[in-house]
Amino acid sequence: MIGTSLPRPDATGKVTGAARYPGDLIEPGMLHLKVVFAHRPHARIVRLDTTAAVAYPGVVAVLTAADVPHNAYGLVEPDQPVLCGEVVRFVGDRVALVVATSREAAEVAAGLVEVAYEDLPVLADAALALTPDAPLIHPERGTNLIYHCPIRKGDAEAALATADLVLEGEFSTAWQEHAFLQPEAGIAYVDEDDRVIIHTAGQWLHEDRRQIAEVLGLPEAQVVIRYAAIGGAFGGREDLSVQHLLALAAWKLRQPVAIVWSRGESVMAHHKRHPVTIRCRWGAMRDGRIVAVSATAIGDGGAYASTSQEVIKCVALFLTGCYEVPNIHVDAYAVYTNNLPAGAFRGFGAPQAQFASEVMVTRLAHALGMDPLELRRINLYREGSLEPTQQPLPAGVSVRTCLDTCLTTLATLPALPPPAAPHLKRAWGFACGIKNLGYSFGFPEQATATVELHGAATIAQAIVRIGAADVGQGTHLILRQIAAEALNVTLETVQLIAEDSAEAPNAGSASASRLTMMAGRAVHDAALGALREWQNEERPARITVQYRAPATTPLDAVTTAGRPNYAYGYAAQAVEVEVDIITGQIRIVRIISVHDVGRAINRQQVEGQIEGALAQALGYTLMEHFQMREGRVATPGLSTYLIPTILDTPPEIISVILELADPEGPYGARGMAELPLIPFAPAVADAIYNATGVWLSDLPFTPERVLRALCP
Amino acid sequence: MIPSPFAFYAPARLDEALDLLQQYGDEAKLLAGGHSLLPTMKLRLATPAVLIDLHKIPDLVGITVDERVTIGSMTTWSALEADATLCAAVPVLAATIRLIGDRQVRNRGTLGGALAHADPAADAPALVLVLNGTLTIYGPAGIRTVAAKDFFVDLLTTALAPDEILTAITLDRVGPDEGAAYLKFAHPASRYALVGVAAFLRVEAGQITACRVAVTGAGVRAERLTIVEARLLHQPAQAEVFAAAAQGAADTLEILGDLHASEAYRRAMVEVYTRRALEAAAANLRAS
Repeated sequence: MIGTSLPRPDATGKVTGAARYPGDLIEPGMLHLKVVFAHRPHARIVRLDTTAAVAYPGVVAVLTAADVPHNAYGLVEPDQPVLCGEVVRFVGDRVALVVATSREAAEVAAGLVEVAYEDLPVLADAALALTPDAPLIHPERGTNLIYHCPIRKGDAEAALATADLVLEGEFSTAWQEHAFLQPEAGIAYVDEDDRVIIHTAGQWLHEDRRQIAEVLGLPEAQVVIRYAAIGGAFGGREDLSVQHLLALAAWKLRQPVAIVWSRGESVMAHHKRHPVTIRCRWGAMRDGRIVAVSATAIGDGGAYASTSQEVIKCVALFLTGCYEVPNIHVDAYAVYTNNLPAGAFRGFGAPQAQFASEVMVTRLAHALGMDPLELRRINLYREGSLEPTQQPLPAGVSVRTCLDTCLTTLATLPALPPPAAPHLKRAWGFACGIKNLGYSFGFPEQATATVELHGAATIAQAIVRIGAADVGQGTHLILRQIAAEALNVTLETVQLIAEDSAEAPNAGSASASRLTMMAGRAVHDAALGALREWQNEERPARITVQYRAPATTPLDAVTTAGRPNYAYGYAAQAVEVEVDIITGQIRIVRIISVHDVGRAINRQQVEGQIEGALAQALGYTLMEHFQMREGRVATPGLSTYLIPTILDTPPEIISVILELADPEGPYGARGMAELPLIPFAPAVADAIYNATGVWLSDLPFTPERVLRALCP
Repeated sequence: MIPSPFAFYAPARLDEALDLLQQYGDEAKLLAGGHSLLPTMKLRLATPAVLIDLHKIPDLVGITVDERVTIGSMTTWSALEADATLCAAVPVLAATIRLIGDRQVRNRGTLGGALAHADPAADAPALVLVLNGTLTIYGPAGIRTVAAKDFFVDLLTTALAPDEILTAITLDRVGPDEGAAYLKFAHPASRYALVGVAAFLRVEAGQITACRVAVTGAGVRAERLTIVEARLLHQPAQAEVFAAAAQGAADTLEILGDLHASEAYRRAMVEVYTRRALEAAAANLRAS
């Protein structure tokens, strides 16, 4: 059961079209919603006239800010209006919500909502956000600073002053769009028990419920979130998008309502990965010891806070990568601008920070005349290493093993024939990666599961209740496998109830690579608990278990010390690239991706996560150039924002799965789904350097940027 | 989005099509493959009141291979690609067609439609320019012909008058001692040419005795690189000659930059693809 490659029960339906995604739930007779977006980056609403829209045939209502009981929401802090009444702060701000008997009527009427704006100065550059004359995005705060995360360890300036070698670096990364296959959609209605039911796609049932209950001013028990089949998420469904709009309309009108966003609406209206600029100085001694890092990072948080505060903490923590550095002076800032809000995206700040740290480590080695892999071995985290926050790392530090395995795997590969033409330069590049698993910095980390065993002499049915979202990563099969193993029953015996906030307890979000560890552990513990009840002749045997991870802490305000995380995942990659030095085009030839997953509950799914994340990493590194001009989206569709297809992915991806058991995870499993995204960009940068002798420091490495670096 | 309302005609004869075109004037658009027209109508960037579909006119479809080859304007890419006689006479045509869109696009799209639309990033214009194309045009005054080099006037603008229909395209065969090639830097999503270059060479006793080079995708229209051509004439067909001729190939062109490639990058790629297309054309030389 554990460690096999059981096929996904949902796979066939997803391929044949039988799976019901949120957009498939729409039935005749439902009302249709259309959002009136601001389409301007910063403006005061002078006048809002819905008369013509309301008069349009088929229109049932036009909702505005005045209709929202509590007009503020957000994952971390409620700074985002459901519907804007006074000011719009980015192009995707929602100004009104048209409800009509048909989608067409709603669309036409949305165009009839008259909004007069007075444009305000636009802040489009995060680097200017904290300057004195920058326009304030939320004037009541008195600053555009969302969050500042300092980390201090030892004395970085003194150590840099006495280091044998100091290198400076500057890096920038771009927005990344989640581009999940299924744009936002869903339905909502009020049921016979006067509960508002929101049936959509998301990443955390109970958090969606909390926020919507707050917006509507209802007790949480009166709000029910259900998830249909979810067509990808990657962090992009952590923030509310259409869920609260559906809830508002259904609750106000007491009629079933539906919405489907177009790709253009999806791209404009949901948050992105943070663009981050990083300036840093790294100091090392001649023997290869890294002695100090001083770094500043600025993340563009866009118009609303979303999870910026948490992302920027991860940026700060990972600006020194997976290396034990005795002296650290780091300042990471998330700032407001009039750009699209930035928030969660697979990797959550780690890819940006470690693009810089991995490249700096390699550059240090070159400058010292050392093998970059040898320099890594000297400085890599090991058991007991002190984190930047001055605490020992949680047990299970396997990055060195990942790197060594990567090299032994590489040694087994045949060399390819030389490139077909002299202008094609081919080389391997290397990088390591680290990512926290689960919630950080004192955020309460728990997952709760209920297991019910039915039958007489033997267990005929095991019902597992756990509100854990299967966003496509296969969590539901994993949880059933864990329950079946713990109970020693067949997979078919285990029935999972996971997609209804009223029927399943809170497992936390599908994020931070945490569900296999956290939800898996809760199911494991509950299954064993229920089995004990069963052995005590309880029929049905039923138990609810809350698993709480080892505690983490916020960082001390003065010393910045603390225990930020209870677990980390580690990875190492080797990437072979071919650079066309005349056009700047880059082809990824082969990838070795090594991951310590503790225990592969389902091997095929682990490989699927590695390969899928690598495709996303490839897009992030080479193709996905999200562009904004003065707060407006210049790449609103997939014809202008390029995501990889199968033609862009290399034919050979070698996934190496290490199973060094984690002390906390179920059967030793630890999270892994974000890790492949982290070493990839710096590994490609290293390969480009090895092939051509130039470093690229701005993601993505488009052909044009590569050529400019080659022929400055 | 849904296009604004329009009247639809599908005449069976060329005369009928011309009558309709005269009757509705500027309000009418001719429908060939529709890959460019229909999306712009759905976006309401184009709102023709009348669509005249040319698919039912048999005279506009067909391939004749003679001293030169003549192709009916409504012949689809797939039909061209499947015609063995045509592909033997003009091998570069088949190779180019395989770079156009995808199978579905080629099943519907037509040579005449692509030329009349004159998308600045289309592949066919560059090829027709180097194959010395002659375009046959039918209008109220009868039939006239226009050389390809005079056909592409500006962005989405050709020598066609609003009341004229492109009926056929005549191209040179690629004969003994001749070779041609078309290469492009394709946009990864649309496969349109960010820069595309077509080259034609005749090489006798090692010397270039005729050559034509044309670029598409880089500026507002496809055009011949006459300076490059002049540098090549009577020179030996060698890699160094191609490289020297291609140097600064874009210097006299008006190049456009956009989200996908800046003006400077396109300029550099015109040079690269000019050289590569010349090398490929030389590699494709047919035995005498």
